[in-house]
Amino acid sequence: MKRLFKPEKRLLTIVLCCIPIFLSGCWDRTEVNDLAIIAGVGLDRTDNGKIELSVQITNPKAIGGPGMSSGSGQSGQQPVIVKTGTGKTIYDARSKLQEKTSRQLFEGHNRVIIIGKSLAETGIRKHIDFFARFPIPRLRANVFFTDGKATDILKVIPSFENGESAEAARELAELKIGMNVTTKDLLQQLASSSGDTALPKITASKSKLGEGLKVNGTAIFKNNKLTGQIDDKVTRGLLWLTDAIETASVTIQPKDAEGYISFKILRSSTELIPTIKNGKWKMIVRITTEDDVTENETKLDMMDPKIVEKLEKQMEKSIDKRIQLVLDEVQTGMEADVFGFGEAFERTYPQKWKQQEDQWDKKFPEIEVVIKSDVKIRRPGRSGGPQGVPQEKEKKK
Amino acid sequence: MIEKGKISGLQMAILLYPTVVATALLILPATTGQFAKQDMWLSPIWASLFGYLAVMIAYRLHHYFPQETFVQYSEKIVGKFPGKLLGFGFLFFILHTNGMVLRDYGEFVTGNFLKQTPLIVMIMSMAFVCALAVRGGLEVIARSSQIFLPVFIVLFFLIILLLIPALNPKNMFPVMDEGITRSIRGAFVPSLWFSELFLISFLLPYLHEKEKGLKWAVVTTAFIMITLVTTNLFTLLLFGDIASSFTYPVMDAARYISIADFMQHVEAIVMAIWVTGMFIKICIFYYVVVIGTAQWLRLSDYRPIVFPIGFVLVSVSMWSASNLQELTHFTRTSWTFYAGLFLIVIPIVLLLIAKVRHKFPKKQSH
Repeated sequence: MKRLFKPEKRLLTIVLCCIPIFLSGCWDRTEVNDLAIIAGVGLDRTDNGKIELSVQITNPKAIGGPGMSSGSGQSGQQPVIVKTGTGKTIYDARSKLQEKTSRQLFEGHNRVIIIGKSLAETGIRKHIDFFARFPIPRLRANVFFTDGKATDILKVIPSFENGESAEAARELAELKIGMNVTTKDLLQQLASSSGDTALPKITASKSKLGEGLKVNGTAIFKNNKLTGQIDDKVTRGLLWLTDAIETASVTIQPKDAEGYISFKILRSSTELIPTIKNGKWKMIVRITTEDDVTENETKLDMMDPKIVEKLEKQMEKSIDKRIQLVLDEVQTGMEADVFGFGEAFERTYPQKWKQQEDQWDKKFPEIEVVIKSDVKIRRPGRSGGPQGVPQEKEKKK
Repeated sequence: MIEKGKISGLQMAILLYPTVVATALLILPATTGQFAKQDMWLSPIWASLFGYLAVMIAYRLHHYFPQETFVQYSEKIVGKFPGKLLGFGFLFFILHTNGMVLRDYGEFVTGNFLKQTPLIVMIMSMAFVCALAVRGGLEVIARSSQIFLPVFIVLFFLIILLLIPALNPKNMFPVMDEGITRSIRGAFVPSLWFSELFLISFLLPYLHEKEKGLKWAVVTTAFIMITLVTTNLFTLLLFGDIASSFTYPVMDAARYISIADFMQHVEAIVMAIWVTGMFIKICIFYYVVVIGTAQWLRLSDYRPIVFPIGFVLVSVSMWSASNLQELTHFTRTSWTFYAGLFLIVIPIVLLLIAKVRHKFPKKQSH
């Protein structure tokens, strides 16, 4: 240290003292209280062809601060603020929106992108580019479709998640009851040769007890444009087919007994095995699931291997039926390849795929699909025979 | 000798590893994916062959002139004037490449994190830090990279580890459906990044365990190859066909990480990896330019020219391209031939001449 105080080193000392001033910060310093943290983005199309961008901004007064521990509702503040801007592109709309917002818009924590029906019908490919180019948004954001306006979904104040509908929507997607599509997945599917994709449909549910969101059904996009929607039940088939099923229950009514039996799916895997024989394209779908019995209304004994075997057969049929349902609606009805059949063929038969790639649109609806499901009932649950039935009256069959 | 410091074989390896990996890490999937598609993970394997080649050439040349660097022995091999010309060309190439590397660093930081900060500030601050390290000499650079490299590697593996749940192995198939041609085309640009290993020519004379030099150089090349294959494989398994459509695929991969809703927003890790790696890389290139220039001008000390060359470096990096598109285009097109000439062709020719001269020594050498 002494060296620095020598007269000839004085200049160096001064320079060294000045350097820390530049180290402490830079042009991009932004304080959190200057930011409008966006939790969700909604995209709609106005009647004259412009983009209407809605953002859900977390209200800093409602969350955080001293009010946090006593619950967000008490201060009387809205937990979120929804703002809307219109422009030629998303970024144009964003800058219009910025004019109306006193804080700097920040998409770094954006969790969901909701696409309104009006925009979905005119094509979504060109609008998704913003989310992969602008440096701040993340590719992890979940993408949803809504039948009405996206703004309305953002305005919902659900009872859970501190009243943030964006967070509620993300949690719903994570539960995997419907499809779970992130921006990355969407980009990947739009970049595939068919450009067909499916997005989960989100709807607001209002009742006396409060507002909420639910994912029911799926929107099918053919070549990035909305072509149709499928309901909750058919969506389950789609999930089976795309190996996306995670939390599911299957309820069947055994042929030779009264009442229903419910099963919980522990794990399931779906394999798409494409085959080309004599120029005929065929897709074999092999599904293997493991289930536990969770409820037994009948008088059947769940410990009896023979009964269980019969139930397995019946469940297989019920799964087949669900899948057939989605194939009928989406494969032959809408002719949209949202199952990844095209990629499966491309991966197994790259040469033949190249010759047929252009005609895939025509070929896809004609592909024969063979479903081979294999259900394994693993455990009877906590009880063996039916509960509340005298031992001798149990059906042994 | 101007450089009085000595480094060990391991230190040389630690210096070389980030020299190739640092730039490659972020943009490799974009560069290779363009040509190699789903075979991109194979490309670094082919590219590494050039790494071995460059190391072998440098080592053979070192064998003939154990105390000298490229700038010095090129004069002895092809004569004074052509040798000086070659040396100047080589130094200019390294300076220019270093300018591009520095620019790459600046573009990444300004483009992704500090959007309002002027590029020149990023570049100058990095150049200044590197200048201080280079002024300290080879030992200082080696020791600082000894501190940084473990951080670099640990963070890299952290990213890889956190990405595992999001991967989809199906993205890899079909493997080599068009033979290996595609992956070889993808290996073209990375093979020249590997050729940068020729810079060991400037490190080998300062090794204090000479016999281990080759061993460590080969080990490093293998490790670089493994790292790059891993990078490409993980990006591919995450993004599939769209991997090459991102400017910095690894960055976007890291931003995709979300474990249990709290382990997310980890792109700062990528930033840390990139900055530490780039620091070492720029230092090495910078050092080569400085020591090379000192030897070229036969100076008795290299320290006085560190800062002047730093200024040149900053200007070169500002002038090397007007925007990122131009920079990327240049790296993928002209630079490849430019680098191939100085890092592979000229050294091979020199080696051949040196071999011939060694076998048929001139009488006048007595």
